[in-house]
Amino acid sequence: MGDLEALAPQLGDALRFHDPIAVDGVPISATITPRDEDDLSAVLEALGEARCAAIPLGAGTQLGLGNAPQRADCFLSLAEFSHVDELDASEGVCHAGAGTPLADLRARAREAGWELPLDDAGRGGTLGGALATAALAPRALGFGRPRDVVLGCEVVLADGLRTRCGGRVVKNVTGYDMAKLYVGSLGALGVITGAWLRLAPKSAAVRVLQSEELDDPHALALGVIAARLATARSCLLSDETRGLRATVELAGESASVEHDAQDLAGRGLRLASPALRDAAAARRFAGLAGAVRFVVSSLPARLAECVMELRGAAAELLVLPGLGLVCARGASADAAALFAVAARAAAAGGGRLLCERAPHDAKRGRDVFAAPPSDAALSRALKARFDPLGVLNRGRFAGRV
Amino acid sequence: MTAALAEHARLIEALEATVGADRCLHRREQLLVYECDGLTLHTADPSAVVFPESRDEVQAIVRACRKQRVPFVPRGAGTGLSGGALANDGAVVIECSRLNRIRAIDPANRIAVVEPGVVNADLSAAARPHGLFYAPDPSSQLACTLGGNVAENAGGPHTLKYGTTTHHVLALELVLPDGSCFELGSATGFAPGFDWVGAVVGSEGTLGIVTAITVRLSPIPESVETLLAIFPDVVSACRAVGMVIEAALVPAALEIVDQRTIRAVEDSVYAAGLPRDAGAILIAELDGPAVALPAQIERVRELCGRAGADRVEIARDEAERQRFWRARKGAFGAMGRLAPDLYVHDAVVPRSALPVVLEKVCEIGDRYGLTLSNVFHAGDGNLHPNISFDRRDPDQLARVMAAGAEILKLCVAAGGVITGEHGVGTEKREFISLVFGDADLEAMQRLRATFDPDRICNPGKIFPTTRFCAESNPKARGYDRVPM
Repeated sequence: MGDLEALAPQLGDALRFHDPIAVDGVPISATITPRDEDDLSAVLEALGEARCAAIPLGAGTQLGLGNAPQRADCFLSLAEFSHVDELDASEGVCHAGAGTPLADLRARAREAGWELPLDDAGRGGTLGGALATAALAPRALGFGRPRDVVLGCEVVLADGLRTRCGGRVVKNVTGYDMAKLYVGSLGALGVITGAWLRLAPKSAAVRVLQSEELDDPHALALGVIAARLATARSCLLSDETRGLRATVELAGESASVEHDAQDLAGRGLRLASPALRDAAAARRFAGLAGAVRFVVSSLPARLAECVMELRGAAAELLVLPGLGLVCARGASADAAALFAVAARAAAAGGGRLLCERAPHDAKRGRDVFAAPPSDAALSRALKARFDPLGVLNRGRFAGRV
Repeated sequence: MTAALAEHARLIEALEATVGADRCLHRREQLLVYECDGLTLHTADPSAVVFPESRDEVQAIVRACRKQRVPFVPRGAGTGLSGGALANDGAVVIECSRLNRIRAIDPANRIAVVEPGVVNADLSAAARPHGLFYAPDPSSQLACTLGGNVAENAGGPHTLKYGTTTHHVLALELVLPDGSCFELGSATGFAPGFDWVGAVVGSEGTLGIVTAITVRLSPIPESVETLLAIFPDVVSACRAVGMVIEAALVPAALEIVDQRTIRAVEDSVYAAGLPRDAGAILIAELDGPAVALPAQIERVRELCGRAGADRVEIARDEAERQRFWRARKGAFGAMGRLAPDLYVHDAVVPRSALPVVLEKVCEIGDRYGLTLSNVFHAGDGNLHPNISFDRRDPDQLARVMAAGAEILKLCVAAGGVITGEHGVGTEKREFISLVFGDADLEAMQRLRATFDPDRICNPGKIFPTTRFCAESNPKARGYDRVPM
């Protein structure tokens, strides 16, 4: 804190002290709110010189994601980067600042006849947060992963260097695809300040269908089939009283949607209200946070083995068969045991795991990203090139970099 | 024996120790064929060409090169069009054509594991009995290899719907320039941590040598509808493309062929029966559930009519569909009739800028007195202005290069970029600064240095040689932002 206080004259109004907010047990009592990229660049340079560390902050909806910080003196708020700069309806692309609430961006896209293909399951986050965390939610099945939505972005690197990568065009191999490196990197290399995004055509028809409660094998088999339908935008198997219930959202051109809806009806699913599904899915997905939450990936054909490992150890499961993901919730007292079970489940599914949320004492000594040793070695080498002073999210990302 | 010859002899001895003398070429006449890739304008002589058959051999070759401080360059089928496989600085070419096994086709999980020397079209052929295919389909797919596709993030006509290589690669086995080997990504597509696969795909072989690739396979669409629209000029064809995109239709492909190309095709063995006086043709292909396509293709037909099409035909059968595509796929071959050499450019502009940019591209060609034709992925805004010329004529060659530079500047000024699918390579390394400032390139250099601090893996590619030096400019301040 002492170092940060020494910077106060230099930072002026941009620096605000407040009651401590704990991030994985580390109390943070200051927030710096840069006005623009130049300002952010100067702030990062000053933080580096003062050997301070910062955590970039959007809406704060995913602050629990990551390893416990090795040091954190302040938040870096992106609140001033909230603006939709351009929405080109003829092209189906838009540019927005990182602090823009996804809900605002989604509304703007819809007004222009397009769909924002980023789903944060109603978390209420910002564009920058969604990209930095590569947040996955059920509609990633239809929309694609956040990495594939970004055409280009602006990033202020940890040492204050202002950079751009990619562009506004939908096809581009000019230089390295740096955006892939920044998306999902939790701000470990730099702060994303804005991005060009590819929009998706607005669907002419949307149908939501639900199954009865089914036992695991039947639900998983049904889920894999449903998720592979051409118009499946999301497919979610949620834990109910007696088993798993499949909820499938179909979206796209009308004839195809009706065709797929009939297919699902033939498999015993019934039409449900999209509004009800939206609310229910968002509540289930976001609300599954609980005290401890894991995401485990699996190959489709090994999903049942993966679920079998988790069943019993987790208090609740949510399966996204099309994305090959199983979300598992548990109580904080079970955190250590769940780490072990999730690792077994990932091995059974041929996939990887991520601990999205856990009490900070359960995180201690672990890498919540479960990065393999080779990944961790590369991550350390990359971090050393981009952020040798550890200014950004120090210790929080994969490999504890 | 001079010191240089002695060094070369030591290198050959070391390489032969890794793969045997029969898989190591080093005589001048043997190396000639490896002096360039598909871009014949640029040439460089390799020190040797080696043919590994396993990952272990690749590692041994890389270690041998590193020990001798000799750079190396991975090479697939050599079909690249940006000089990406050029053996700059006397590099050793690591020819991956014998790493050509399809290790696994896994229909239940819709993935395949392949080696880098597998030919693109062969993977789709192997997946077809399972109702699956590999979506990225560069025009050279009958020859190009998947390792090369990964290096260049290859696209193709169907990129519009299916995306480029990066959207289909799930995991990689990568030999780093120090000889170590890493498994990157996950066959499930979910790999928390840095997106190493995303960073390596499209890195033009400068971060290491890929020795295995796990790719996603896609289901063969139930139905395909193909439309051919004949326009009085290329501008109205571009207008139709804009209208289709705005109508929120997602065709699998939207390709335009201009008049000069049509005439070249009709004069060749690829003749498709197109009217020689047509200003341009648009090929639109839609795929998906059979129940949906008739209405969609009718909508495209209607939009083409509104954009000014003289005639619109919908393929009645597979033979007719193939005839439509012949004009597109035979275009590059047909241009061999026009001149001994062909320079295929590859820039991208916002789709809405296509009509204006194309008009100016043709003006540039005319101003320099060149034969310039266009055949391109209109749905992606990916232009391929093709200049037919004779490189033996120095004046013509100078005009080709000057016109090419103007075209790239024009596309960047229109909000575009200098390459959409061919890569920067050697060809465009001096032009990358049109798109990116020093700070942007510095960030890329940091990534490169993480993998290859000694810059021995495919040197002389992507980064400009004339004005940028990462070491002397570690913190480029005040770079000029290029409007996007």
